[in-house]
Amino acid sequence: MKMTFELVTYNDKLNGFEIDENTYQINLSQEDAQTYKLLESSELSLYNWLQESEFFINYINEEVYQDSKGKKFAISDINGISFVRFYFFKITSGDAHYDYFKKLFKIHVESEWQDREDTGREILENLLAKQKELMFELS
Amino acid sequence: MDNKYIDKMLSQMDTELSSKGMSRRDAMKLAGISGASLLVGSTQIHAMEKDQAPIEKSGVTGKIVIVGGGLAGMSTAARLTLSLENPDITVIEPNDLSVSYQPGQTLIGAGIWGEDDIAYNRDDFVPDGVKIIKDRAIAFEPTQNKLTTAQGQEVSYDYLIVACGLQLDFERIKGLEEAGRCYSTGDNSQLHKTLGEDGICSIYTAEGATKTWEQMQKFIAQAASGKKTNFVFTHPSTPIKCGGAPKKIMYLANSRIKEAGARENSELTFYTNGGSMFGIPEYHDAVLAQFKREKFKWNYRHNLIEVDKKNKIAVFDAKWQEKGPWDPIMKEFEVISKHEKKKVSYDFLHIAPAQIAPREIAESDLGSAGGWVPVNKETLQHIKFDNVFSLGDIAQVPMGKTGGSVRKQYKVLVNNLISKMKGEPLVAKYEGYTVCPLITGIGTVMMAEFNWEVKPTPSFPLDPTVERWIFWLMKIYALKPMTMYGMLAGKA
Repeated sequence: MKMTFELVTYNDKLNGFEIDENTYQINLSQEDAQTYKLLESSELSLYNWLQESEFFINYINEEVYQDSKGKKFAISDINGISFVRFYFFKITSGDAHYDYFKKLFKIHVESEWQDREDTGREILENLLAKQKELMFELS
Repeated sequence: MDNKYIDKMLSQMDTELSSKGMSRRDAMKLAGISGASLLVGSTQIHAMEKDQAPIEKSGVTGKIVIVGGGLAGMSTAARLTLSLENPDITVIEPNDLSVSYQPGQTLIGAGIWGEDDIAYNRDDFVPDGVKIIKDRAIAFEPTQNKLTTAQGQEVSYDYLIVACGLQLDFERIKGLEEAGRCYSTGDNSQLHKTLGEDGICSIYTAEGATKTWEQMQKFIAQAASGKKTNFVFTHPSTPIKCGGAPKKIMYLANSRIKEAGARENSELTFYTNGGSMFGIPEYHDAVLAQFKREKFKWNYRHNLIEVDKKNKIAVFDAKWQEKGPWDPIMKEFEVISKHEKKKVSYDFLHIAPAQIAPREIAESDLGSAGGWVPVNKETLQHIKFDNVFSLGDIAQVPMGKTGGSVRKQYKVLVNNLISKMKGEPLVAKYEGYTVCPLITGIGTVMMAEFNWEVKPTPSFPLDPTVERWIFWLMKIYALKPMTMYGMLAGKA
């Protein structure tokens, strides 16, 4: 099974993410393919599995960012499962992203009073911590 | 326990029930509340206590200071005295009437109750052994475990509970700046002087509720005389205590207008900063259906920002969203927020003011960026200072600004505080329950109960979106004694 993925890199100077324009592909072993199938319905579980998988880090070190100790990056897409919103969400993003993050971060919106901007700011605060969790740093 | 009071209330309730050909037992069956022994013929609230798990006393010691002696602070103090063998508890509260029954203010606003029905002296509810400092805490040094009062008294503590409530922020409304900020209880003369006597009112203080009823009658009479009359009701852009209150007073005004035969000449319009009628979809749908049935008008995303008293014009910040530019990274069109001022003529203007944390909390190390006291929403422990807890209106807990929330919170807080004192993990959890007995007319209440799951959590085996007379009876007769003699005794 082939796993296609895309990356974003973290720019310390800009304090933000940048898109890596390339698309990468790995051939998964039969065992890894089975794990992939088990986890693909839960995108963050899939992401966490790749974070902990030696084969993935080895591929990055050998094929993607060689000799890049200290480089920070994150996965933005795995076989069409997009993680872009984790890195590029903004107050003006669409409702689907608001709904996703409200559920993920358990943000209760008291719609009697709460402005969209307030919720957006709360999401951004939560994302600062989440981005750190999702980030890879090459050693 | 004031058994005489409870007996009197139940007797009144029986009279009302029998006028409908119904016994209290029948009524309980109707409401599905056979377990609610407050309403059972026991005549004593002691029966209710049997429903509660016995409270075990702990021998742990420590100096506990509670800032705020309202419902949250005093119920917590009472519960602590029941839970500790040697309680050392001090409550700091300047207001003599701090335990007054604020949920009754809506009823005062519609002439159903008077101020005497809700005024209660704090000193009548001080548990044995609890010390009261009649002052206001104004400076906090949580790293030093001490605070200072307005009169300069330094108070140290081992454990601090912040339950000081919130303030009504009328001063942010242009034209009403002189009203300043105030609490629901205490001296609010400046507020009432500023609001005046020409149709502007607010039930968020007891005296204001009385004035609301005065103004309501005046403009109902105007409508009854044949003059078209605009009744305007607002809901602000901040969290508020009792989120249903702005609608309750509108529903009650509608009842009074209909009683006077003045509905034809009356237009009732609700302006809310929010984007729906209620945060819970099921209740939103029910309220919207009620609004349509009663021929109310409504406008979402409207926040009151200015009042021109002379010309009787309310100015709202009206907001909406438009499609923005294409975002190539997120692969979608952005959503751009827009707003403009909208002027609305009123005859009668009921203001639900913005509500905020007192400055001394917001600007202290105890406060969050938003001003509230940031606590773990389940354990109610401060996120930075582990010997500090908070509950009630000031705590940064979603949907937590009702007496119904406090009823669940104070027991959790006491359990966790004692665990903390013992050096044990905090295992008690507040699960976000709250309740809003939404008065939809004189004689009907929709008992909206819900929690953080944003789903109805009815205590009764009945459709919670239906307005019921039996819930009106509960609101009028049962909830006050449960609050005043159950919660404030640390038991209900």
